[in-house]
Amino acid sequence: MLELNAMTVSMIYLSSFAILLAGFLTALSSKDLIRLLIALELMFGAVFMSLIPAFVVAANPAFGTSIITIFTSAGELLVLIAAIVIQDRRNKNVLIEQITIGGDRV
Amino acid sequence: MMLLSGFAGVLVLSSLGVLLSKDNFYSALFMTLTLVMAASVYTLFDIQSVFVLIVFVFVGAIGIVTVALAATYRAMPERQFSWVWCIPVAITAAVLCHFMFVGGAYYGIGSRVTFSLDEFIKTSEYQLLVVFLTSLVILLFLSVIRLYRGDES
Repeated sequence: MLELNAMTVSMIYLSSFAILLAGFLTALSSKDLIRLLIALELMFGAVFMSLIPAFVVAANPAFGTSIITIFTSAGELLVLIAAIVIQDRRNKNVLIEQITIGGDRV
Repeated sequence: MMLLSGFAGVLVLSSLGVLLSKDNFYSALFMTLTLVMAASVYTLFDIQSVFVLIVFVFVGAIGIVTVALAATYRAMPERQFSWVWCIPVAITAAVLCHFMFVGGAYYGIGSRVTFSLDEFIKTSEYQLLVVFLTSLVILLFLSVIRLYRGDES
């Protein structure tokens, strides 16, 4: 089992930031909802990575946090998938330009 | 250490693959690989339960649906983004890294992960946590059903 020293922590956080940056840029550059969904999942992957050092400080609360993170993010992504399906049924495409800006109506 | 470096390298490369691939399908595949690698890092620290959760729930359910959706909408227009957005992200990363190394002792650097699943669910707080989580999932799915019914009507 690996020990959490400065080297491993920096490697974990650096890769986490790299994933977050890639997800962020993917979300910014996305023109369709599918790529936005992929970008969000990538950013949640970065969150999972950054949770690893918390297991050293307090393992059980970190495990509870990771369970909540995994299930809530999965639920959010399922809601987004449902919204994509509804968007496709209404407008026959999944382009972001088709979404009304400033409101909560899809 | 070598394994962690390998996993981190594959992680970063596959996340770059998501960003640079123009096809949604390949982006979804790279995203799945990224998540599997992120989950695999947990096994290096002997936290297999989180690995199972991420792979089963996140990759197995959500990832497969995303890959299926991306395979349906493969032909999409080209992307655009500004590299200027890298600057605030890099500044945030630098600030966080600085504070992480300043408070290294607080974050438990130099220690091992001591996690056992046996002690997890005994306290009443965690039972309450499970109840909250179940309620949250039910609420989320109710909102999906409401969205779907609203669309049908």
